[in-house]
Amino acid sequence: MHILVVEDDSVAREYLAKALREAGHTVDGAANGVDGLHIATSQPIDLLIVDRMLPKLDGLTLIQSLRATGRKTPVLILSALGDVDDRITGLRAGGDDYLTKPYHIAELLARIDALIRRGDGSSADRKLRVADLELDRMTRRVTRGSKKIALTAREFQLLEFLMRHGGQVVTRTMLLESVWDYHFDPQTNVIDVHISRLRFAIDKGFDKPLLHTVRGAGYSLREDS
Amino acid sequence: VKIPKFALLATSSFRLALAYSVVFACVSSLLLGAVYLAVAGIVDRETSNLIEAEVQGLREQYLQLSHDDFIALIHERSEQQDVRGAVYLLVDPAGQAVAGNIPNWPAVVAARGTWMQFTLTVAFGEDTREHQIRARQFVLPGGYRMLVGHDVQERQDLKRLLLSGLFFAVFLTLLLGVGGGILMGRRILREARAMSAASQQIMSGDLSRRLPVRNTNDELNTLAREINAMLEKIEQLSLAMRTVLDSAAHDLRTPLNRLQRAAEAALGAGGDSSQSQAALEQVSAEVDAMRGTLDALLRIVLAETGTVERETVDLSALVTSVAELYEPLAQEHGLTWVATVQSGIVLRGNRQLLAQAVANLADNAVKFSSPGGRIEVTLRECATGSEITVQDTGIGIPANRRAEVLGRRVRLEETRHLPGSGLGLSLVAAVSKLHNAHLVLEDAEPGLRVRMIFQASES
Repeated sequence: MHILVVEDDSVAREYLAKALREAGHTVDGAANGVDGLHIATSQPIDLLIVDRMLPKLDGLTLIQSLRATGRKTPVLILSALGDVDDRITGLRAGGDDYLTKPYHIAELLARIDALIRRGDGSSADRKLRVADLELDRMTRRVTRGSKKIALTAREFQLLEFLMRHGGQVVTRTMLLESVWDYHFDPQTNVIDVHISRLRFAIDKGFDKPLLHTVRGAGYSLREDS
Repeated sequence: VKIPKFALLATSSFRLALAYSVVFACVSSLLLGAVYLAVAGIVDRETSNLIEAEVQGLREQYLQLSHDDFIALIHERSEQQDVRGAVYLLVDPAGQAVAGNIPNWPAVVAARGTWMQFTLTVAFGEDTREHQIRARQFVLPGGYRMLVGHDVQERQDLKRLLLSGLFFAVFLTLLLGVGGGILMGRRILREARAMSAASQQIMSGDLSRRLPVRNTNDELNTLAREINAMLEKIEQLSLAMRTVLDSAAHDLRTPLNRLQRAAEAALGAGGDSSQSQAALEQVSAEVDAMRGTLDALLRIVLAETGTVERETVDLSALVTSVAELYEPLAQEHGLTWVATVQSGIVLRGNRQLLAQAVANLADNAVKFSSPGGRIEVTLRECATGSEITVQDTGIGIPANRRAEVLGRRVRLEETRHLPGSGLGLSLVAAVSKLHNAHLVLEDAEPGLRVRMIFQASES
């Protein structure tokens, strides 16, 4: 994937670019909003990472200008402003996701994967499948192999999100935001307990576990270990 | 803002008074001027009519009488009349006086056609006075000229009196206007100077100063009271900001210090990779903790300053969702979790902040309870509106320290080993205040009961 990083802090930009290259992406960098907009509109870019406060042209204006040209390139906003309302402003301006600094690189990579995957249109499928685990969104039925699995409404939502991002890493914050719509970090890791309940429901009694914990990042639903 | 020495002239009350008195002066001079013109016109016309009638009479007499009889008639009339009543003079073609009550043809002051105006020296007791006479001359057959006049001095005096009355009235109006303006202007100026002095002190940093207020309800005082209320709010906010900065400094210095220790440990580990790995993990954990603290502080400030978006929040769904989020955690800790939520309760507020407040209460309840305990989360309607109660059977908070823990960064000694920023209850307090909720901490015997009592609002 070709990713453009628009960030004025050169140390942060280089570090981010290095991490993204290690994850297998092609990376371009821009130090200000004007250059960023120029590259984003003149080259085939798959995803933009835009700092909110930029010299020459601020991040939100950059995104608005980009959207005004009709481009639907996914944009992830990085910001030192982390308030509830700042987030809403960022998303309203045309951003697809919002991450507050400081962030873990694992969190950023997970969100990038989610954004790139979102373009596939797989979210519209009626049935989701990971290995022998199957989830039917219409009948709300979950089966693994021949076994029917009973889940609570919230566990179903949790599993649906994990399956939609099957094979990707999903962070705790992403789960809190998407499944609960909470944009704050609880002081205790409440998500872990929900995950272990879900794991008990779908992996108990099977040889191959599907729900994996990714150390320092979050969780991943996939076939191999 | 300095008020200059001659500021009086610039005060609005002075200008207003001046403008009004000018208007009044104009109106009164117009009125009196009209009266003057009318009176003067009538007086002049009357005199002219009188003279006209007399001239007409004399003409007729002249035609009826013989020349000598006419002269005798003039003599007779002249003797009957004092010059102050009427003036007669008949002169022959040579200009010699034949009959009349003035000795000779007067030096004309002003003449228009057959009309003329002249002054006559009249005996006034022992004194003499100049009197204005208005007269008309006409020529008789045979070259004789006749002059008939009237003393208009009294009428002139009346006109002059009217005129000076007019000027006096205008002058008085202006004087009263300017005087009143000065008095009013000085009063306002005095108050404005006092306010200006107070404002300057406030601007120089003394936020506790207030504008002087007298015990009246005039506009200036009402304004001063409102400004004082505003200053009160500004002082509170600036105090709140300072407290936040202080606690931010404190809350961030402590983990910064730990961060530095960890970094130094990693540097000092040399080749020991497991030691440096452990130190770096601690660095990462400390950064996370600092970020959490910073977020919490910012949210508290956000809630305290009240600058958040508000929407209609389904409180029932919110409490249910938070309760459901924490239930597995509580059960994991060996706690009984009971959530009783009355449905259909809505209020206007910020969903994220409310959810975080309830989550913080649930978090605390789990954190400060021992296995075997019981946590009850309740939402129900109450007399004033609605009430969220989170009750645990944990260690509780001593009655004398309950107010203290709502302030920033207070963790009781016995809980220092537990995770968290110590700002959880501070945020609950700020969110309660933002939503006009009354926050009550009670002894649940044993444990703590926290009640957020919302006032029924307009929506």
